[in-house]
Amino acid sequence: MSTGWWDRLLARWNAYWFPQTTTKHLAICRIIAVGAQLFWFFPRLDEHLNLLAKNSTFIQPQLLIRAITAILPRELLFTPSAFSIFYWLTVVLGIAALVGLFTRTALFLFTVGISVLIAHQYSYGDRHHNEALFVFFLLSLAFAPSGDELSVDALLRRRKVARTKDRAESPGMSDLAMWPLRFAHVLLAMTYFSTGVSKLIAGGPRWMNGYTLQGYTFADALNRDIPLGMWLAQHHTAAILLSVFTILFETFFFLSLLVPWAAPLFFLTGIFFHIGLYVTAGHDFYQHMVLNFMLLLFLTPEWWRAWLNRHFGGYLSWWRRPAEVAQAA
Amino acid sequence: MREPKTIISIAIILVILLHAAPLLYRAERKTMWPFLDWAMYKDSRPAGPIRAYKKHITGITARGQRESVTTDLTGVSITSFNMLYLQPMWTRDSSAARQLFDRLNRVREDPFVELRLESETYTVTDSGVVREDNPVITYRADAAAPQ
Repeated sequence: MSTGWWDRLLARWNAYWFPQTTTKHLAICRIIAVGAQLFWFFPRLDEHLNLLAKNSTFIQPQLLIRAITAILPRELLFTPSAFSIFYWLTVVLGIAALVGLFTRTALFLFTVGISVLIAHQYSYGDRHHNEALFVFFLLSLAFAPSGDELSVDALLRRRKVARTKDRAESPGMSDLAMWPLRFAHVLLAMTYFSTGVSKLIAGGPRWMNGYTLQGYTFADALNRDIPLGMWLAQHHTAAILLSVFTILFETFFFLSLLVPWAAPLFFLTGIFFHIGLYVTAGHDFYQHMVLNFMLLLFLTPEWWRAWLNRHFGGYLSWWRRPAEVAQAA
Repeated sequence: MREPKTIISIAIILVILLHAAPLLYRAERKTMWPFLDWAMYKDSRPAGPIRAYKKHITGITARGQRESVTTDLTGVSITSFNMLYLQPMWTRDSSAARQLFDRLNRVREDPFVELRLESETYTVTDSGVVREDNPVITYRADAAAPQ
């Protein structure tokens, strides 16, 4: 039977998505991601209440909101009082996910809550791209061992194990601890590529003529009072260079999937790209900054773990792979 | 593959494929969040003067109070506000102004009787940014045409 190619494909698929990895990195990612969502870019309740108070119907309901209203009458959830309860319940679930109490359930429900809040906000004729990938990442954490370490769950489990077996647990490894990061990486590559190619298709090479970026930056910076953007809009050569950089970065970010050693450079560039967009035009892609930051730290940690080990050696032994620690011991 | 990996693998493929939905089903592309088309700032512009506009609406109530008409006050998003009211009113579309009066005055005790659309044009020149005030377009609640 010629199942050889299928087995090879499956092996490669598993090797890519499900390698044995420490669960500690994913736990740190959970804390960073949930913490950022809770304390940095959590939706504002007053905005939701204002939308609910001033609109008796949705202007352009999102799919998720239509699904909810198909089951529940609008008056049940989409009233200021009911929505406030829903909002604070989502906050509580977020805190549970952050500290790692019933981690995966809390993470799943927290992500559902966040998704409903964002979909609600975008049901009044507007929608933005900032949150979409981050929500997928949060959801993926709920289906991975993100609470196996650095969590209340892990603490309780260790206590239980210590009581019954009279010994501490060994550092956690799992083959399900890497796929959320790889997933975020693939989605970022896909969406950057889509953004870059759409510029080339719709705008053509003219997108890099400098005037295009000057025009966009000028309009955004003017209406958002951003001095650096106003300055950039007056510098044609800088606008040409940044246009070329934008197209190159967005279109070729996918190379970070194919050339793993170059991936940290793309993630670092991604962070500065979004900081640049924010300080010149006010585009607040905080979620993309956080995603790129987490990928930089944990997708291919070897490069900077090596650097840290070289300079700080023994001080950072916790950072080494559990297998390395075991080997050293 | 063990079961969790199979389910996760199917979910990964599904999410990736579903990103094609907004591209294939254009009519619903704006209501499929979190599946989005990622074409942002895609259009280019030819060489020429770099120009941008600042527009804002000020409302005057029956008691003579002046109030800035913002997205918060109207309860719509910035995109909808621009598309439904600001842009049409800038091209002297009085039906858009009528709709804005209706929306604003729905629950107000002191209704708006006048909306003033003030705008400035800013142009990038060799010597810096030049500001030019445009004529104010005034809409009255009891008048059919803008003044």
